Amino acid sequence: MNKNKEKLLAKRYSSEKRFQFLGKSAIFMALLFLAIFIFKIFSTGYTAFQKTWLIVPVNFDAETMYLDANPSKEDLEDADYFEISLQSMFNLDKNANEKQQNELKKMVSYFFEREIKQELINDPSLLGKTKDVYITASDDLDQVFKGNYPRDLPENQRRVTDYQLKIFDQLVEQGKVESKFNLSFFTYPDSREAELAGIASSFMGSIFSILVCLAIAFPVAVLAAIYLEEFAPKNRFTDFIEVNINNLAAVPSIVFGLLGLGILLAVFQLPRSTPLVGGITLSLMTLPTIIIACRASLKAVPPSIREAALAMGASRMQTTMHHTVPLSMPGTLSGTIIGLAQALGETAPLILIGMVAFVNTIPGSPMDPAASLPVQIYIWAESAERGFVEKVSACIMVLLGFLIVMNLFAQIIRHKFEKKWS
Amino acid sequence: MKKNGVNMIKISAKNVDVFYGKKQALFNINLEIEENQVTALIGPSGCGKSTFLRCLNRMNDVIDICKVQGEIVINDFNINDKGCDVVRLREKIGMVFQKPNPFPKTLYENISYGPTIHGMAQSKQEMDEIVETSLKKAALWEEVKDRLHEPGTGLSGGQQQRLCIARAISVQPEVILMDEPCSALDPIATAQIEELIDELKKEHTIIIVTHSMAQAARVSQNTGFFHLGELIEHGSTDKIFKNPENNKTQDYITGRFG
Repeated sequence: MNKNKEKLLAKRYSSEKRFQFLGKSAIFMALLFLAIFIFKIFSTGYTAFQKTWLIVPVNFDAETMYLDANPSKEDLEDADYFEISLQSMFNLDKNANEKQQNELKKMVSYFFEREIKQELINDPSLLGKTKDVYITASDDLDQVFKGNYPRDLPENQRRVTDYQLKIFDQLVEQGKVESKFNLSFFTYPDSREAELAGIASSFMGSIFSILVCLAIAFPVAVLAAIYLEEFAPKNRFTDFIEVNINNLAAVPSIVFGLLGLGILLAVFQLPRSTPLVGGITLSLMTLPTIIIACRASLKAVPPSIREAALAMGASRMQTTMHHTVPLSMPGTLSGTIIGLAQALGETAPLILIGMVAFVNTIPGSPMDPAASLPVQIYIWAESAERGFVEKVSACIMVLLGFLIVMNLFAQIIRHKFEKKWS
Repeated sequence: MKKNGVNMIKISAKNVDVFYGKKQALFNINLEIEENQVTALIGPSGCGKSTFLRCLNRMNDVIDICKVQGEIVINDFNINDKGCDVVRLREKIGMVFQKPNPFPKTLYENISYGPTIHGMAQSKQEMDEIVETSLKKAALWEEVKDRLHEPGTGLSGGQQQRLCIARAISVQPEVILMDEPCSALDPIATAQIEELIDELKKEHTIIIVTHSMAQAARVSQNTGFFHLGELIEHGSTDKIFKNPENNKTQDYITGRFG
């Protein structure tokens, strides 16, 4: 009898140990996957925050630019910079033949003319002098400098020619190649050229979409939740509504995209590819999330608080607005932020309403065409150029950073403003 | 208030039946409550004494499935009439609950809430006075006067309950309903509340539901004994405790059941 008991006890202990082991290994697995994922993203993406510049001496010759000695600001704007830009590239190798000159020109981004122009506009006294100017290297040389480019491939399989590599190596030796923080990644819109592509348009697109989504989903969801929780009678009809709100939360997001396409674009003729339409579509997705969070936090307000207010002679409306709703706000807000974070990462519905279009302007309002961060990742991931590989990872990092900040904010709201009741 | 040596009747319940869905919780209750007296409602758990108490300020309205029938007349007015405005009613009839339930706001806001929503103070000064007198009447002023703007939930259990009493009397109700106000408190806090009840009855009519027969004997002048949804016996506390007419009452107060 006693021995049996001991056996049983040992069995109970070992089963608990087994369970703990399984639980721990599950957590370990989850953390491992996360670590691999983050390591992969960071190791491919961190180079995108650096950009390679060639330091090229430019001769700001007034005559070549058709400028007189004392040009006005307008004159400087209108001057012809192409010739001096081209010339400064050709000067890297005085003996280059025509084909090689063409290759020299392709060593920098096609933006080089504008960079040289900006240099002179910033400092008009350079006119007639020669100065070293930082010029964005082409995306392929950028990759070469970062060590991401397979130099040992046969030349006909490379986009960088042997001649370009030779000149580039000479420049590196002379210290004329520099890597600096890639500010243009954050300030430039999308571009077909990897070295000039930035997230400004998609970042603003995401911000505008989220704001539109918040402006629509939050008031509608909170009003719906308050009415359902505090005022609506509990009957079959309200049960039916509740079930359907939960169903709405489970609808695949691409369906909302089709809805946006069919209703907002086709019927209401709203402008395509705009954060306005994107935000409205996303708000349909966010709505049930906020309703559910808001109802849950209204339910969590102890009934004793409602009774206290009612017994003081407060009307139902006063009880709700003075006591229940303020107490439920921390939960509602953190639910809202989590809903918005989901919307922020949503790609499929935005592709359907046309936010996948190539946008090379920075949107100034929700009515301007824009992309969004996840869609930008999708667009770049489709691009063939090697320069976009790191951009994809960098964009993912920005998106993840954005999401982490939002979730952190949700946590802070929850912990800081949650009232404790006895 | 006495008229010819007899206490005035403040509340009279006539043929009150209460249903929770199909289940009947109270059967034909007839009870008269005297003004400026403390009336204790006693009885075993689930006997319907709290349900009856909640009929008096229509708090049962909150429960969807609860239906109240019969007449409850307060100041010559049947509160179960359709024309009765519950907001006005609850202004006149305050309530203190079993568990202290201060709002998670400051002490000051807890007291000023009722006067604010009923528009009782014209100025900040008047409100300050209401808060002070309410807290003084609830014997809490001395303990909290320096921290009126701290959260009410930071007080001890007994202090919280006195805060709830102060909140209830801030709108100068005629009647105060107390639903086992001491059940969550220690003996010292209980003694303080009982003393307070004795003081409050000068200005308010008090109805208290209690599980403790000793408490009923200490604080009340009248007692009603409920059992299984029926009012078995009611009368002066002296008579109920010393000389009950009904055997069940006798058994309950002597501790044979309940």
